[in-house]
Amino acid sequence: MSLLEIKNLHARIGDTEILHGIDLTINRGEVHAIMGPNGSGKSTLSYVLSGRDGYEVTDGDILLDGESVLEMEADERARAGMFLAFQYPVELPGVGGMAFLRAAVNARLREAGQDEVDQLEFVKMVRAEAKDLGIKDDMLKRAVNVGFSGGEKKRYEILQMALLKPSLAILDETDSGLDVDALKIVSEGVNALRSAECGMLVITHYQRLLNHIVPDYVHILAGGRIVKSGDKSLALDVEQNGYAGLGDAA
Amino acid sequence: MVMRGLVMQPERTYLTWADRQAAARSYLDGVNWPAGRTEAWKFTSLAHLSDSALAVPRAGPYAAPEQNLDGIVISIAAGLAPDLTGLDLPDGVSVTDMSADEAACQQAFELLPDNHHLTALSASRQTCAVRLSVAAHTTIDTPLILQFAGGQAGEAAHPFVFIELGDGAHIHLAERHEGAASLSQPLILARLGESAKLDHIKFQNDSDNTTHLGLTLFRLDRQARVNSFAVSKGSQMARMETHCFFAAPDAEAAMSAVYLGRGTQHHDITTVVSHERRDCASRQLIRGVLDDKARGVFQGRVRVAPDAQKTDGQQMSRALLLSREAEADAKPELEIFADDVVCSHGATVGELDESLLFYLKSRGIAEAEARTMLIDAFLVDTLEEVSYPPFAEFLRHQVSGWTARQTREKQTA
Repeated sequence: MSLLEIKNLHARIGDTEILHGIDLTINRGEVHAIMGPNGSGKSTLSYVLSGRDGYEVTDGDILLDGESVLEMEADERARAGMFLAFQYPVELPGVGGMAFLRAAVNARLREAGQDEVDQLEFVKMVRAEAKDLGIKDDMLKRAVNVGFSGGEKKRYEILQMALLKPSLAILDETDSGLDVDALKIVSEGVNALRSAECGMLVITHYQRLLNHIVPDYVHILAGGRIVKSGDKSLALDVEQNGYAGLGDAA
Repeated sequence: MVMRGLVMQPERTYLTWADRQAAARSYLDGVNWPAGRTEAWKFTSLAHLSDSALAVPRAGPYAAPEQNLDGIVISIAAGLAPDLTGLDLPDGVSVTDMSADEAACQQAFELLPDNHHLTALSASRQTCAVRLSVAAHTTIDTPLILQFAGGQAGEAAHPFVFIELGDGAHIHLAERHEGAASLSQPLILARLGESAKLDHIKFQNDSDNTTHLGLTLFRLDRQARVNSFAVSKGSQMARMETHCFFAAPDAEAAMSAVYLGRGTQHHDITTVVSHERRDCASRQLIRGVLDDKARGVFQGRVRVAPDAQKTDGQQMSRALLLSREAEADAKPELEIFADDVVCSHGATVGELDESLLFYLKSRGIAEAEARTMLIDAFLVDTLEEVSYPPFAEFLRHQVSGWTARQTREKQTA
């Protein structure tokens, strides 16, 4: 059974239809990249998949492990194994980082019928993961994303991903706002989480992220449809020739 | 522009307790229960009290509140004489029944604001009076807890406590209001001597049927410090006034508050800060959370007298609406007559931010838990204003208990 099946997905925000029929299948262990120009529907796709309010599916279906997620709230989808790394992680003043991470991990554990994690053990676990991502203790003590630089926010997203161990990770323009060094750290963090159990959907505007997170498949999204699919060489085509022309294939 | 209303006139004195009561009665005779027509009561109407004949509380058994705050409990139960026997008080502290002590009463009267409905009513219907004195240069580590309880429907309680801190004295004082009278009207007057320090909280959790009209007033002498924090959680209607009168230079007051409204509750936080002398600082952070059809009001008045140069007066109020039918009003009033001051105020009303909620939910955190986290986060920095850690801990517990209950009920509804 496929990990994720997107079938003829149509979705709108308010009265505006953004996605006009997307079909995409991701199997466990595969990394798929979705590339597309601004306004092609990339972020909409990530929000529709993760169940954000205000994004209405008007046709088609989304199956995770064979089960439709359309009737599931965002938190249920997350507990079913979905994870969205945000393009712009929001700041949560007053929400302590450790308490937040623990609440998220415990929600997953409860769903799986397992015991909640012991506080001391949890701190150790977080520190170990954080160290690999170059996240300092001071950052862990702060409120979620408050006072973090753009690069720190992205690293914190990957830290959450490492702790939650999703079966499907959606990375929404994770490269935006990163300098070369930060891009490297974040990519290494993501690559460390690649496994035969996990599928990934990497959404990006630029090819450069895909030098670091090398995809198995590349899809071009334009005008709310996938207009072309191929292997990683497709991303290089886009890099050289731009998106112009690709949209016309639709 | 000077608003008429709650103008303080500390020099005014009355000869005797009876005089004060007579003055109050004659004042009240000509005045209906305040409602929207009176500026100070623009958002909070007491018209519902007009028809109720409220009796003096009868003595009777009452449920003692949960003892979840350590300290020396001074029990002030409606209908009973204050329970002062057997109090194990530290050296330098005295607690006495003041009802018959005219000299003490007169000292207290000097602190009262004039033309003030609440205090006029209190003074005319006093049900008990307690005096708490702390000798100069005495620091009491154990918190003192004024525990107001008892009473029942159809009764009105008007307890009065006069607190005197000698020069350099320092205490931690909690007001706990967990009564059941129809009207609860505590009047707390505190006079702080030079360099005296008071850590104060007021926790209002009266019964669902209570109208709570409380006033707590601080008069600060030179270099005195008060850190006061109020939480309004109980009652059908609560008006909690905190007044601060800077009578000498170099004093500081923090007077923050949180109100938590559900059902059809009405919470009114009203503050009056009178900067009469130079180099004093006042700071107020007010946060309200309103669910269902609850209504919240913050009125904050800061007056800076012509002599009060170098005043630092800060005030910020924020309300969080959890329901479309909840409503919040804010009325900051600055009356500044000095030219070298730093004063600011601000007020916002908002809802839970959908993007923050989505972020938490996208991590698998269920809606109710996510909402609880965000509401607690909205209140957390305000609660950090509480200077005495055991008080802060107690209030945090009360506030998060409210939030958790509220979001849980929404989930099951």
